[in-house]
Amino acid sequence: MKRWKRKQDWGRSRAKDVTRPAKLPVNFFSTRSPVIDLFRGQLDYADHLRQDSEIVLYFFYAPWCGQSIAAREEIEHVASRLSDQVLFVAVNCWWNQGKCRKQKHFFYFPVIHFYHRSFGPIEYKGPMSAVYIEKFVRRVMTPLLYISSRSKLLDFLSNYEPGVLGYFEFNASPQPPGYLTFFTSALHSLKKDYLGTIRFGVITDKHVAEEISLVHSGSVYLHRHVNTSLIYPNDIMNYTAENICKWALENREMLIRWLRPHGGKSLLLNNELKKGPALLIFIPYNPLAEIHPLLDEITKVALEYHSCNKSQAAEPVLQHLGDVDSPAFDSPVPDVHTELSETFSITKYPCCNTVVLPQWHSISRTHNVCELCINQTFGVKPNKVNVPHCNFLEIEAALDSFYLQEHTFFQVISNTIECSNFLSFYSPFSYYTACCRTVNRHFLSFISSEKTIFQTPKVAFSSHGKKDKDDTQNSIPHIEDRNCFIPDLHDNGTNITGLSCRTNKTLNLYLLDSNLFWIYAERLGASRSTHLKEFAAIVDLKEEVHYVLDQNQSLTGSTLENFIKNFSILYSPLKRHLVDDPSVHFHAQRIITEVTTNTFHDTVFSNEKNVLLLYYAQWCGFCASLNHIFIQLARLLPPDNFTVARIDITRNDLPWEFMTDRLPTILFFPHQRKEQSVKFPEDFPVNLPNLLKFILHYSSLSSSDHCTKECLHKETVLQQGHISHLEREIQKLRSEISALHQAHDKLEEQLSKARREEQRLQQQKHTLEKQHKTLQLHSEQLQSTYDQKNQELLAMAEKLQELADASENLLKENTLLRILVASKEGKLQLKDKAKEPVQSEQTLSDDNDVSVSTAATTLGEKRIDNIDTIETEHSSENRTG
Amino acid sequence: HSFSLTLIDALDTLLILGNVSEFQRVVNVLQEGVDFDIDVNASVFETNIRVVGGLLSAHLLSKKAGVEVEVGWPCSGPLLRMAEEAARKLLPAFQTPTGMPYGTVNLLHGVNPGETPVTCTAGIGTFIVEFATLSHLTGDPVFEDVARKALKALWKNRSDIGLVGNHIDVITAKWVAQDAGIGAGVDSYFEYLVKGAILLQDKELMSMFLEYNKAIKNYTKFDDWYLWVQMYKGTVSMPVFQSLEAYWPGLQSLIGDVDNAMRTFLNYYTVWKQFGGLPEFYNIPQGYTVEKREGYPLRPELIESAMYLYRATRDPTLLELGRDAVESIEKISKVDCGFATIKDLRDHRLDNRMESFFLAETVKYLYLLFDPDNFIHNDGSVFDVVVTPYGECILNAGGYIFNTEAHPIDPAALHCCRKQKEEQWEVEDLMREFYSLKRNKKFTLKRASDHGEGESVQDSVDASSENGREKRNSKKNAHSLLSCPSQSFNSKLAVLGQVFLDNT
Repeated sequence: MKRWKRKQDWGRSRAKDVTRPAKLPVNFFSTRSPVIDLFRGQLDYADHLRQDSEIVLYFFYAPWCGQSIAAREEIEHVASRLSDQVLFVAVNCWWNQGKCRKQKHFFYFPVIHFYHRSFGPIEYKGPMSAVYIEKFVRRVMTPLLYISSRSKLLDFLSNYEPGVLGYFEFNASPQPPGYLTFFTSALHSLKKDYLGTIRFGVITDKHVAEEISLVHSGSVYLHRHVNTSLIYPNDIMNYTAENICKWALENREMLIRWLRPHGGKSLLLNNELKKGPALLIFIPYNPLAEIHPLLDEITKVALEYHSCNKSQAAEPVLQHLGDVDSPAFDSPVPDVHTELSETFSITKYPCCNTVVLPQWHSISRTHNVCELCINQTFGVKPNKVNVPHCNFLEIEAALDSFYLQEHTFFQVISNTIECSNFLSFYSPFSYYTACCRTVNRHFLSFISSEKTIFQTPKVAFSSHGKKDKDDTQNSIPHIEDRNCFIPDLHDNGTNITGLSCRTNKTLNLYLLDSNLFWIYAERLGASRSTHLKEFAAIVDLKEEVHYVLDQNQSLTGSTLENFIKNFSILYSPLKRHLVDDPSVHFHAQRIITEVTTNTFHDTVFSNEKNVLLLYYAQWCGFCASLNHIFIQLARLLPPDNFTVARIDITRNDLPWEFMTDRLPTILFFPHQRKEQSVKFPEDFPVNLPNLLKFILHYSSLSSSDHCTKECLHKETVLQQGHISHLEREIQKLRSEISALHQAHDKLEEQLSKARREEQRLQQQKHTLEKQHKTLQLHSEQLQSTYDQKNQELLAMAEKLQELADASENLLKENTLLRILVASKEGKLQLKDKAKEPVQSEQTLSDDNDVSVSTAATTLGEKRIDNIDTIETEHSSENRTG
Repeated sequence: HSFSLTLIDALDTLLILGNVSEFQRVVNVLQEGVDFDIDVNASVFETNIRVVGGLLSAHLLSKKAGVEVEVGWPCSGPLLRMAEEAARKLLPAFQTPTGMPYGTVNLLHGVNPGETPVTCTAGIGTFIVEFATLSHLTGDPVFEDVARKALKALWKNRSDIGLVGNHIDVITAKWVAQDAGIGAGVDSYFEYLVKGAILLQDKELMSMFLEYNKAIKNYTKFDDWYLWVQMYKGTVSMPVFQSLEAYWPGLQSLIGDVDNAMRTFLNYYTVWKQFGGLPEFYNIPQGYTVEKREGYPLRPELIESAMYLYRATRDPTLLELGRDAVESIEKISKVDCGFATIKDLRDHRLDNRMESFFLAETVKYLYLLFDPDNFIHNDGSVFDVVVTPYGECILNAGGYIFNTEAHPIDPAALHCCRKQKEEQWEVEDLMREFYSLKRNKKFTLKRASDHGEGESVQDSVDASSENGREKRNSKKNAHSLLSCPSQSFNSKLAVLGQVFLDNT
């Protein structure tokens, strides 16, 4: 197996099983931190700590985990703000000796758990950013809002998020029946609905409860803006925390939904966008901010868009209450309306226009943005105002008056909003209100996430009463400058109210926090240079198109309305948005022209040359490996007549007719016949000769049938081009030749080196041969000496043989002599008794015997000298034996 | 080992990290002290991907690194000669009846008598990138030929359902281990089919891969995981994810299957988040490590995929993985003299070793993930012109093909040496046409590519697959095999973990 085998074959010898345990855990949070850091995973102690505080946040982390490390700062930030009310406990849940690791089994880190006294754990699954965490902590701290007055009730109900209200009579007992369950259900909803979009409130006052028809203590009410609000059916469902929560989740209204992808693999967008076309609205959102004016505007649009059901009979009181933030109805009940207006002192400026003043100093990067309203209520008692209808002429008159005084607004340089009233130029009875602020792009980008600039000014606006535009029928689209009036859509009869039910192109509305998810806006073409992170786009997944709200307009309720209307009408004026790659800059000196969405038309069509266009993507392996071929091609083709261009099709959208479904694709646009583009056939290999032939085949220069002056001129130009091409070729050949020369020189050098080497080798060979000869001589000599010695040995052996034979003869003679002697002795003994002289003869034979034995001894010695001579050995053996 | 393995392996990492002087120093060291005439048994596969691949990439990058190159460069040079020498030592392993190589060879004596004939699939099919490069640079076709022959032998021996096993007997062509999957033992075979196809513009290799890809999707893919199955029956044999399999999303993104790649990548990333690394085996149904396979030797595969995918999507999630990898390596594995293998991911015990691929691959891919302006990511907007005795050629125009040990090969270099003179003359003739007013010729495109036999083999590929299934129809031939699909509309929003299901 690939790399296990590696270990066996390549591993150096090493002691087996030399391992080192992981480092001991150390502090993860600093010791000065308000977060208690149980870095040894003391879960038992963590549980013990829970008794000390009503609210506890547990931060389970792994010290190696990047996400834990990133979240640490955020937690610390939250802790520094809330440590007096909430206990923050961090637990290392990775160290395997620790209790936490032994008892808990997490698939990811960090994990955040909350306990509200004994209730818990509530897992936090929202964004790991301090503001969101803090918001959630605060929700856990106060899961219920106490609604003590009518104004608080209205505040509560006007929120775009679904609201659940319980009515409990506290006079009878400090803890009325069912209250605890209701409280728990509020906590429970945080478990299920970690974004916390359902708000829970409790009404303690009987009269307030009556406003929403709650009479009995213990009843629970789900507020809905468009559909009829509901009362929890005690008789059908058991009154438990889980059930209330489930009921609220199932029945809540989702007019507009926050999308908060959690970062892991998810089908959230897939599921939502497959429901149909979607309007995605990106706004910077601070969950901790008290008010969200832009969000309010957007939700109002959403509400109107979904207001299809206009039956008012069901709950008249509610409908009136709803009037405050829902649109006026066809037949409003005037007295109730007035009464409510009076009660809440809501004055209305129904006719307003945003005016962006041109830059006063071209150097300063600031704009003054003014909200211009026709103020017919100035000096008049607010409660007498009926809903005025503002007309086009009026607003035009207002604009005229405004422009006459515009210099005063140019000078306003203020980060907050400054309002001033001025008289109409035409009529002394009309007043206008203009509220202006200075938009500094750099400044905005810096603080936009905090939203401070928008909070304060909006308060200023509302104090002037411009809180609602009650009847959007009368709204006039915002204008950007005086030359550009967007046609009044009011005239073509489209109305946003209830549009969702009247159109067959119903939109689902979604909100995204641009502090967290701006990347999606960028993907849809949000300009990267903008510092104001507001953006809206309609995405139609099925049709594979998306439309973008003109980014030169600011995102407001009315621009959104127009955007929605324009999408919904039959012949939609919206154009498919083409995203282009802003990182590409035009380089004139580049050999291959890089085309983007914006430069496509100019480069390909408004160009006198033949254009070869390559569709590519940087990630596609088949494209990147062809780079060198296109570079070569671009260097070869005469630049006066040809452009070699390419477009990264994953970063640059093109009109449908120019899209391609495979990469690379090569298109050729012959000059003069740009509309007749041709595609390089896919089944042929992309190489230089093929590309040249392809281009030659389709790029016909003008025929030379009638050669006029023009044609001659053309030919001259052409020939000049040819000459310069040939010159380049020559240059190239020269350098090639020089390269060849160099290579030749090098070869020469190597050759001479080799020759030298050869010579040296030859010399060596000679000497070796000589040596060989002498050696041969030597060996011959040796051979002869050997032969000689051998012969000598043979001679010696022969001699020895002779000697041996001789001694044998001697032995024989000896025995014969002995026999003779013995017989003689016998005779002598016989004669001895008679004769004396025979004795002398016997002494002589003894002498003979001695000499024979001496010869035998010398023979034995010889044998030792001459071991190889087997015959001799044998003979000597015989001798000794 | 006397041929300085880690040195060769980490050489191009030095350049990618920008340490030019050290690169030059190491090149000098290697030129003096490397000797392949040694009595050592070496893995054919490892020697190829590390030594041959490392030397080839160092050779091709040496000019960029400021090393003074000889006149014939890139068609000659000391590092190229060393690579060739090393590769020649491996050739005896390929002399088998099937053309599939032995796993081990003795550098001095060739294949040892009694050597086992069982080789893993990757050990057979992981040569084409290095060997074809070597053949194109040196002009000796023997290397590319043996590599192709081995690839074809594997293709011929795939099962009826189109899968290959884990180990095969190179003499008898019998499958010894019949587990089919995309990980250990097989991985770089699939990788080299794709990379070979890209490097050589070779339709045959690509069509082989696409057939395998189909079978892999049919039999091994479950919920964006890839399991192990029996190669003949297609039944699941091991429901595990292996650390080595994490190269797959990167490979998919190279051929344009970005959506699927991202989905699988996100699965693998959850395993990383659970342990701070990828265990060798991860049991998918149990959601935990497998006995004896809990280690993480700082493998590069998941980071490699992140690098490729980041090119395609620019999704910040991929940088997040990079951050996690840096944290893990720093916090868990850093020791006094290097970065230790994590012996057990459950408790982060360390082993007394650092793998060569940590420097060659892991560090390189991690650096490249965070360095979008690195020359390796060149999109073709810059390039070098080099004059060789064979003519002028364009080099370093991007599109680098990484071998399986992360050694980048410049695909343009393959068109630099021993270019057919006829092509040059042809181009010259065609250029003349551009400057003449009258077009008198008809221009027909030539079908045969550099690789003369390509077309005929292509036909045989078609024929062999057709007798099994007749699904292959004109639809498949409607577009070139050597192309990527352009990305769908919803890919605009497929970032930060969002995935989209096909409309079908």
